[in-house]
Amino acid sequence: MLRTIQNAFWKALTPDLIVDQEREGSTRASGLSQAMMAALGGTRNIASQQRVALTRIRIQLHDASCLDEAALRASGVRGVMVLNDNIIHVLVGRG
Amino acid sequence: MPATRSLQLMAPLSGVLIPLDQVPDPVFSNKIVGDGICIDPTSHILCAPVAGVVSELQSSKHAITITHDSGAQVLLHVGLDTVSLAGEGFSALVCKDQHVEAGQPLIEFDADHIALHARSLMTIVLVITGEPFTVSTVDELVECGQPLLSLTTSVQSSETLPNRGQEVCSGPIILPNTCGLHARPAAILVQAAKGFEADIKLHRQDASGNAKSLVSIMALQTTQGDAVHLSAIGADAQQAIEQLAQLIADGCGEAITSARKPAEQIDPPTKVAAPLKDVLRGVCASSGSAFGHVVQIAQNTLDISESALEPHIERKVLEEALAQARDALQRLQDQATGDAQAGIFRAHQELLQDPSLVEEALTLIAKGKSAAFSWNRVTQAIATTFRDSGDALLAERALDLMDVGQRVLRLIMGVPDSVLTLPDQAILIAHQLTPSQTATLDKSKVLGFATVEGGATSHVAILARAAGVPAICGLPMHVLTLATGTPVLLDADRGELHIEPDQSHVEKSRAKHQQQLLTYQQDLKDSALPACTLDGHCFEVSANVASLQETIQAIELGGEGVGLLRSEFLYLDRASSPDLAEQASTYSAIASALGTDRNLIVRTLDVGGDKPLAYVPMNMETNPFLGMRGIRLCLARPQLLREQFRAILSSTSLTRMHIMLPMVSQLSELRDARQMLHEEAARIGLQHLPKLGIMIEVPSAALMADLFAPEVDFFSIGTNDLTQYTLAMDREHPLLASQADSFHPAVLRLIAGTVNAAHAHGKWVGVCGALASETLAVPLLLGLGVDELSVSVPLIPAIKSAIRKAELGRCEILAQQILKMESAEQVRSALQAHLQAYPEIPTALEN
Repeated sequence: MLRTIQNAFWKALTPDLIVDQEREGSTRASGLSQAMMAALGGTRNIASQQRVALTRIRIQLHDASCLDEAALRASGVRGVMVLNDNIIHVLVGRG
Repeated sequence: MPATRSLQLMAPLSGVLIPLDQVPDPVFSNKIVGDGICIDPTSHILCAPVAGVVSELQSSKHAITITHDSGAQVLLHVGLDTVSLAGEGFSALVCKDQHVEAGQPLIEFDADHIALHARSLMTIVLVITGEPFTVSTVDELVECGQPLLSLTTSVQSSETLPNRGQEVCSGPIILPNTCGLHARPAAILVQAAKGFEADIKLHRQDASGNAKSLVSIMALQTTQGDAVHLSAIGADAQQAIEQLAQLIADGCGEAITSARKPAEQIDPPTKVAAPLKDVLRGVCASSGSAFGHVVQIAQNTLDISESALEPHIERKVLEEALAQARDALQRLQDQATGDAQAGIFRAHQELLQDPSLVEEALTLIAKGKSAAFSWNRVTQAIATTFRDSGDALLAERALDLMDVGQRVLRLIMGVPDSVLTLPDQAILIAHQLTPSQTATLDKSKVLGFATVEGGATSHVAILARAAGVPAICGLPMHVLTLATGTPVLLDADRGELHIEPDQSHVEKSRAKHQQQLLTYQQDLKDSALPACTLDGHCFEVSANVASLQETIQAIELGGEGVGLLRSEFLYLDRASSPDLAEQASTYSAIASALGTDRNLIVRTLDVGGDKPLAYVPMNMETNPFLGMRGIRLCLARPQLLREQFRAILSSTSLTRMHIMLPMVSQLSELRDARQMLHEEAARIGLQHLPKLGIMIEVPSAALMADLFAPEVDFFSIGTNDLTQYTLAMDREHPLLASQADSFHPAVLRLIAGTVNAAHAHGKWVGVCGALASETLAVPLLLGLGVDELSVSVPLIPAIKSAIRKAELGRCEILAQQILKMESAEQVRSALQAHLQAYPEIPTALEN
């Protein structure tokens, strides 16, 4: 029982969306197809990627000029949101 | 005749359209607030979907309501759970009551900030006045400004306007709803109000709101006990007032529709003592029974004056009270008896540091309100939001917020911390006990607890179990009307509270209590004796522990080792991962306490979405019980596991060290982990590896135990998870928990299969789940061939004693019969019958 309440507290106090240090930098993690990778400027252009906000993959690029936005939209994703600081949200839906 | 007209709503954002019922937030998907649609945005400026007036703008700027001239109201809510951002990442481009054109920018938001700090960006567009609509686009993607919804609004031409007539008012109505008119009851009131032609208003003090608008009712922020009244103008005004006043007085359907609560609870609590039944029923939160006298722990209602003359004095009063409260919480933390309690008060301290709380209170003070009023209003409002959020975790925090709110409020008003002076033999009765209340109780005088709210996981239950006193939760509301001093018999095992019981009943209960005490003392006296059956077979009884302290206690109570060290609990209250040296010193302290003659089984970090660790951040999962838990998480973060192995390996010479992997469901997981263990051992040149075993808690592992057995040194069965995964029932589900019974024959067959597979390969099997701690299960587990029982520390003497009274030969026959049974009930009654055949075996110590 103690366990349950303690868990509830830590769950409430721990933000879920802290950047996963170990995975940052890894580009092999799931979610991105080859077409998406190519549109993003290739594996080497990806500084980090992370599942966020239930429906999105947040990608930080080294160089945003290598991004082919049209190709990315055509690569089967639901939506693309290009933000400042080389950051892109790719909307992939839940799951 | 009302004519109809169509009203076009534009998309307020670009993005992906999602049907409302697919939004993962019940407040929206159940359409409690209204029907509409969701957009997962790809643009970051929310624009007006229609021309109108900004009738509502949340101070946290994540939600806005636009009222069109036709009366139609559209609520725009950016993101899920974004209220918790308290405005950070949002800027409002318009003000309340401002007139806006269709397409005018309303709110700008930082999409990346919200994505990283809130649950989702999914933005909800709701027609809260309930006009029927059709979706204007078939595409999944919309552009901002594109037609989105087409509403049908009714327009009343001037000649059909009903005779306005006189305003009709109701008398004052006291709100019975515990949380005031929050979303659900408010929705029911609105629905009923819409059935009348008349214009209807709900009034609370000086404020009033349109009774046909959910948002304006919720904006009144009513709370339980508030006096409200209704007014109406129109042809059917009188009828409307009569019916709606009755509806509000009856709780707007809240008590009636609440399936969880027993029927007796429909009656709102009244000061007049209602005739009580002799027996009130609830749920057992901590077993046992006690006879004592009622002590009602009333929530002190403080008399708060609303306005104050000098804002700067009030400001100072609030700041001083906050500082004092922080000090008091620090003291409580330092004195706390366990990590759990300390953790609760630490969380309270953090709540006090929440800037939005203090800022909002200061804003009210600046408007000439008193410190007490401002603080109380703000904490109440946020607690209500938490409770109604539809998010179980936030809802749990509402009680904490109220608790910490009361603490500061008492300090502001100079009301001394009420340390209750209790009479002897007290049975405490309360609506719900807060952590602060439980921490200050004189536990030596409390014989039992009985509360209206709470369940097996509530603070009361935890405290009661820790103190070994019986407790019942979920009693009907009118238990609160029992007069202090009333003699009651609390029979927690049956979940019953007997009022003014007759003497023979009390005597019987007292005799049972006495018998339990005697049995317990006898078991305690014999606790150092080995656990051997009448026919001479000895079993190991070890302990489930989470700290060095518990390990020492376990040895004192006759524990023969540690069958489960929950390693994730060693560093629960940490924000950062403990370094290798720190981990190693913890394991070596526990290993040295046990010594080389006892087993220490360390379970590697068992965390996941359902039991997260602060320093192991992970993404939110829709179904954490089927997600990245236990070994899966450890293999995904190999550094974590390697470091833990290294720390464990440094203590192998101090005890009989065992390592156990949780949640294994595939052979590859075992092999990968073993590989890592070998590599770590090789790095430090260790020759003798500790034993490596796995938890059997997933049906796949139990079914393939014959393949796992050659590759492990031992199995330990985690009956709690095994039961939940076998029966597909959450053991904390309010309706299913009682059926999620480890005595279910399906679970027992998996245990039997595991034992057979292990023994065929010469490996031993332990049970470390809750089933092992039940005296009733002892003959069954022995009969199934289990070699070791790892039990919760206080129950070691009782379980050892139960083994000493059993006869293995008979247990084996019984187990074979049980494996053929149909249901958990049959199994339980067979075991009870078996125990009765040995009258000297006490059945009373089930916990």
